[in-house]
Amino acid sequence: MCAGIVSGLVLNIKLSRRRLVESGLAALLTAPWAVSLRAATVLPGIDSGADGAESDDIVLGVSAAFSGPSRGLGTELYRGAAACFAHVNASGGINGRRIALKMYDDGYQPDPCVENTMQLMLEDQVFLLFGYVGTPTVTRVLPILKKFQSENIYMFFPFTGAQPQRQPPYGEFAFNLRASYGQETAGLVDNFVRIGRRRIGVFYQMDAYGRSGWAGVRSALARHGERIAGEATYGRGAKFTGSMRQQVEILKSAAPEAVICIGSYAACAAFARDAVDLGLEVPIANLSFVGSENLLNLLTEGREDSERYTRLLVNSQVVPSYEDLSIPAVREYRELMERYNPQVPEELVKEEYAALPQSFGSLEGFLNAKLLAEILRRLGGDVRRARLEQAVFSVSDFDLGVGERVSFGPDRRQGLQTVYYTVVEEGRFVPLEDWQAKFA
Amino acid sequence: MKIEKLFQRTRFGIFAMFGAIVLSTSILCVITVSTEISAEYEINTSNIAKTVANSSVDILLNRDLATLQSLVDQFIEIQGIRYIYITSETGDYLAHTFVPGIPDEILASDHRSTEPVERDLPGLGIFLEVGSPILAGVAGHVHVGMDLDVVALKIQRAIGQQIYLVAVILVIGVLAAIWLVNLAARPLGELLAYAVELARDGDPEALADRAVLARNDEAGHLARLFLYMARNGKEPGAMSPAPQPAD
Repeated sequence: MCAGIVSGLVLNIKLSRRRLVESGLAALLTAPWAVSLRAATVLPGIDSGADGAESDDIVLGVSAAFSGPSRGLGTELYRGAAACFAHVNASGGINGRRIALKMYDDGYQPDPCVENTMQLMLEDQVFLLFGYVGTPTVTRVLPILKKFQSENIYMFFPFTGAQPQRQPPYGEFAFNLRASYGQETAGLVDNFVRIGRRRIGVFYQMDAYGRSGWAGVRSALARHGERIAGEATYGRGAKFTGSMRQQVEILKSAAPEAVICIGSYAACAAFARDAVDLGLEVPIANLSFVGSENLLNLLTEGREDSERYTRLLVNSQVVPSYEDLSIPAVREYRELMERYNPQVPEELVKEEYAALPQSFGSLEGFLNAKLLAEILRRLGGDVRRARLEQAVFSVSDFDLGVGERVSFGPDRRQGLQTVYYTVVEEGRFVPLEDWQAKFA
Repeated sequence: MKIEKLFQRTRFGIFAMFGAIVLSTSILCVITVSTEISAEYEINTSNIAKTVANSSVDILLNRDLATLQSLVDQFIEIQGIRYIYITSETGDYLAHTFVPGIPDEILASDHRSTEPVERDLPGLGIFLEVGSPILAGVAGHVHVGMDLDVVALKIQRAIGQQIYLVAVILVIGVLAAIWLVNLAARPLGELLAYAVELARDGDPEALADRAVLARNDEAGHLARLFLYMARNGKEPGAMSPAPQPAD
């Protein structure tokens, strides 16, 4: 295992309802998300190739970014999922079995992610893979799933909207909940073109994620008879303290009427900052992966004139606003986040990160976990990997609580299709109601 | 007594001979290593371009540019390869590794060209670019840029190692040669010292215990000859017959 990977970390949801009753520690209701660490394999004594869920726990394997400039993404996604799983376990688990997570940090880097996945599949014998973060990481893992397809190991709800896990030859090994980057970029382009902003530049991360978004913008513009007006790139891992002035100058020379950013929050915030400073005053759009709240924090923290850096931001989202309490899933999410307030285990925390009370990332994690719990319930008492696909395909017209119904099938491996658009008002992202009024 | 002058030319000859060997070997080494490494990197670059081109066919036909970029990102980790870009049949840049953007020199170049070409990209360095067609060019082209600075560094390092080895051999060879010459000169020194003592003191019996007289070589024979002549008061020309070797 490479450096930086926390090995043998198991996160258990310790307190079942029965144990709570037995102990009489009612106070623990407010903290049932206790964490324990085990150095040993989760499920000892299981032969190679056996399902990971043959013990009391249903163990899910997680490799995500808990360190590095994108640690906020992995952290928030985990927190949302953890709140949901904590509630599921506290309510009796899945047909009496608890959900446990075996977690590793990949720092949003492909090679550690591949190593983590091999560890999770071959050594840890997890039941399925869950909560992966990022396109460059996931695209490198997909061939592993194909290689071990006889083991029926599936990847559930990765935090990426890229195409490789949505289409052949790897689409059959993954299930997605969120809308794709293609849908997000198409929505952004369509709206910009509709309000007369046809010259669109692209600022993107130089990897599979950036290319996926770039391809989406290119394809959407082609439908309108346009081409990308200009493009600039940055290397994965760029920090907010770094300069993006070169990139801004490149795009400025193309005179774009809007810029779509496909990157992480640190780099996109740096770009937005430098764009405003260098006079590139056009709408700057970001995809859902960016981590909107972290982006906003970087642009506003310690600035009195932060409004000039955020007034032209427009971020696409794949989940509804967590401020919209009319949505049942949002109400449930906020309640469980407040009740459990899960934190990333200390062993995985290498750098300081201030967790957000609510965020689009944690809401997505929560919805991912909620749907996965439903799928696991549909397995009944026969918890085998071979039955997972059938259980997923049984989800039809399912109400996840976000308004849009969720269905899966052999030709439908993505649950949600809706893209939401948000802008910054009064220091927070709110739904964008009128593109014309805001950006025309 | 030290023999200084007799082997002066021998020593010089040894130095000159080893120097000539080192110089010629070094020149040959520079030419060979430089040519071999350059050719090897060029062939590798060309092979990488072909591999990327072959691997890209299905990906391009599936319109999966994220996977294509992922493929390119893996090849860029190979030592010496500094950039890769893939163009479509119409010249669109479908995947590349340039940050912060595609250089103007690349944008202005012929995307269909597969001939090796040396490119000087401001701020990036000097590169040897090799191209390869995808599906005979109907699906696009792959271009791979090899960093010539990295190649030059590799060549310098290889040559440095070779010259270091030759230099070590030279030093060891010269030291060994000097030691051998000195070894050969030592009996002569002893003989000279004995002859000088014999001429100065005139009493051959007082010098009969000198070590050189016991030597079983030409120096020993000469020393015993000098002793014989001194005992018999003979001039060298009157001596007859010459004494037989001790063995």
